[in-house]
Amino acid sequence: MDEGRTTDATSLTGKALQAGGTGEVMIEITNVEKWYGDFQALTGVDLVVGRQETVVVAGPSGSGKSTLIRCINRLEQHDRGRIIVDGTELSDDLKDIQEIRRETGMVFQSFNLFPHLTILENITLAPRHVRRKARKEAEESAMQLLERVRIPEQAHKFPGQLSGGQQQRAAIARSLAMEPKVMLFDEPTSALDPEMIKEVLDTMEELAESGMTMICVTHEMGFARHVADRVVFMSDGAIVEVDDPESIFANPKEERTKLFLSQVL
Amino acid sequence: MSAETHVRPPSQRIDPARWVKDNLFATPLNALLTLVFAPLMATVTWRFGRFLAVDARWEIVETNLTLYVVGAFPRDQLWRLWLSLAILAVVFGLVGGLVGATAREAAIAAGRDTATTRWDRVARLGPPALLLLSLLGFARTFTPFVLTAGIVALGIATSLLGRRLPGAIRRSVPLIAIVGVVVSLYAISSFAGVPRDEWGGLLITLYYTIGALVISYPLGILFALGRRSSLPMVRWVCSAYVEFFRGSPLITLLFTGWLVLPFFLPADFPTPTLVTRALIIFILFTSAYVAEIVRGGLQAVGRGQWEAAQALGLSPWKQTRLIVLPQALRAVIPGLVGQAISLFKDTTLVLIIGQQDLLAIAQNVTKQDAFLGQGYIIESLVFVGIVYWVASYWLSKESQRLEVRLGVGQR
Repeated sequence: MDEGRTTDATSLTGKALQAGGTGEVMIEITNVEKWYGDFQALTGVDLVVGRQETVVVAGPSGSGKSTLIRCINRLEQHDRGRIIVDGTELSDDLKDIQEIRRETGMVFQSFNLFPHLTILENITLAPRHVRRKARKEAEESAMQLLERVRIPEQAHKFPGQLSGGQQQRAAIARSLAMEPKVMLFDEPTSALDPEMIKEVLDTMEELAESGMTMICVTHEMGFARHVADRVVFMSDGAIVEVDDPESIFANPKEERTKLFLSQVL
Repeated sequence: MSAETHVRPPSQRIDPARWVKDNLFATPLNALLTLVFAPLMATVTWRFGRFLAVDARWEIVETNLTLYVVGAFPRDQLWRLWLSLAILAVVFGLVGGLVGATAREAAIAAGRDTATTRWDRVARLGPPALLLLSLLGFARTFTPFVLTAGIVALGIATSLLGRRLPGAIRRSVPLIAIVGVVVSLYAISSFAGVPRDEWGGLLITLYYTIGALVISYPLGILFALGRRSSLPMVRWVCSAYVEFFRGSPLITLLFTGWLVLPFFLPADFPTPTLVTRALIIFILFTSAYVAEIVRGGLQAVGRGQWEAAQALGLSPWKQTRLIVLPQALRAVIPGLVGQAISLFKDTTLVLIIGQQDLLAIAQNVTKQDAFLGQGYIIESLVFVGIVYWVASYWLSKESQRLEVRLGVGQR
């Protein structure tokens, strides 16, 4: 740990290093920096996420929330610092990257289902080609997952025939099919019509209750309040404040947090 | 107006007089254009139809039909061509049936309309059927009838079979197809057969077209992927290749293959035959164009698709093969088919390096004693023109059908 950094328990970001959930460390992010050209998107981020914990990352757009979680599965490459997922450190070694990606599911704002494959094929693709499961076995577990996200009747349709909410739930099922240890959600409801947001948030809440380790970038403060174990507030590429939802919503300490919450609540 | 009376949309039938007014005489300019072009088109159609049916002296085609089709191919070896055609009928029947069935299944699953009207079918299959029948009309013996009917029946039977293949065999169909095409080639040239240098007419035209297609399309896809490689050397080599061959006229390349290439080969290196050299040039040229078409398709696949594939832990090769390429190729079917048609017509350029392809034969037959100096070139050129047109038209119709079924342009 960097000596000069103010990450003791009394500072506003001190709780960033206290793993929640079972207390066992699942993700450890240490002093991570990221540049896009001359623009610094992440300026020394520290965060520890515990097993079975749900962390919501909030903050204004451009604050580095998405960049942070996209660094965890190497959709973006961090320039400095360390990221360790379930004991595997992210390095330039493709084997480590693949190892972490297999253990980490990701749900995108724009779903990113594969439009040329049916929902069932979308879900069974990775288990068959990465986990080398037999087709029949993969399809059986896929159908169970579709039951779980409540769209089993859509199995043989193509993504284009589903509503946004159904597509996002199918995308969640696709990630879960790899039996990941961590789920990353990158603004999963931002592209949805209001009446579909709830069905996706309900699915995410059930997932959190089932003991999944989750990091969710979202503007849904109701979800953060009810489901999150900790809320991380980011601004200008840095973590500004970390606390449990009751405290941060009732009594935000940092000015930028207060300003942001006053705008979104 | 009560809602329940409109279970179906209101009828769109309009009477012919109304149609004519709406479509031909809607505005004064529209009416003027109709008055100018309707007689013009009628005259052209009438004269061309009259030429085809009455005026044309088709005996030049009748006399030389075999020459048009196979050139100087030894006549006692023609059975090899029929055998090869039969093999190809099986191969293309299987592939066609399978592709058709897959596209149809996809269309049904996606809820797209697969209904074809009788008019669609006539428009698609009419011209090729008509051409085949008129060719048979020119034949002087009964054997071609029987053999053609047999081969057409074989093609239809295997395409029906192709539609009903179980999944396990489906996956091996591409391999069966490649083996079939190679076998059909060697059935003509090997086993005391006829070397490719003696092939001519439509046979050599098809040899260049199919040979170059089969090899240049996979090659072009590799070059397109190479241009997006993360390895700079691969990227540069692929870009240089594509830019070089796209920037050179095909005629120049053919001349190079004909005259220059042998000088650059080591003295003890066996120089490939002229036919092989021309085929290589077609492959090099076409693959560069295919690479650019496919590159366009690759760019059309959004970054989110790559990211989703990466996030699932697919290896880079599988991201490409399972996610990106299928979408990219689907998006550029029109371009790929266009390039195939273009290649088919470009093979006529082998005329300038002294090859007896279909177009060369069309010119040379007019120099026979019986036809010399009597303007038979018109009939001969019209005939091969129709052959080229029907083949290109049919190919483009089939590809349009495939596009509709695969929902190209829809999301």
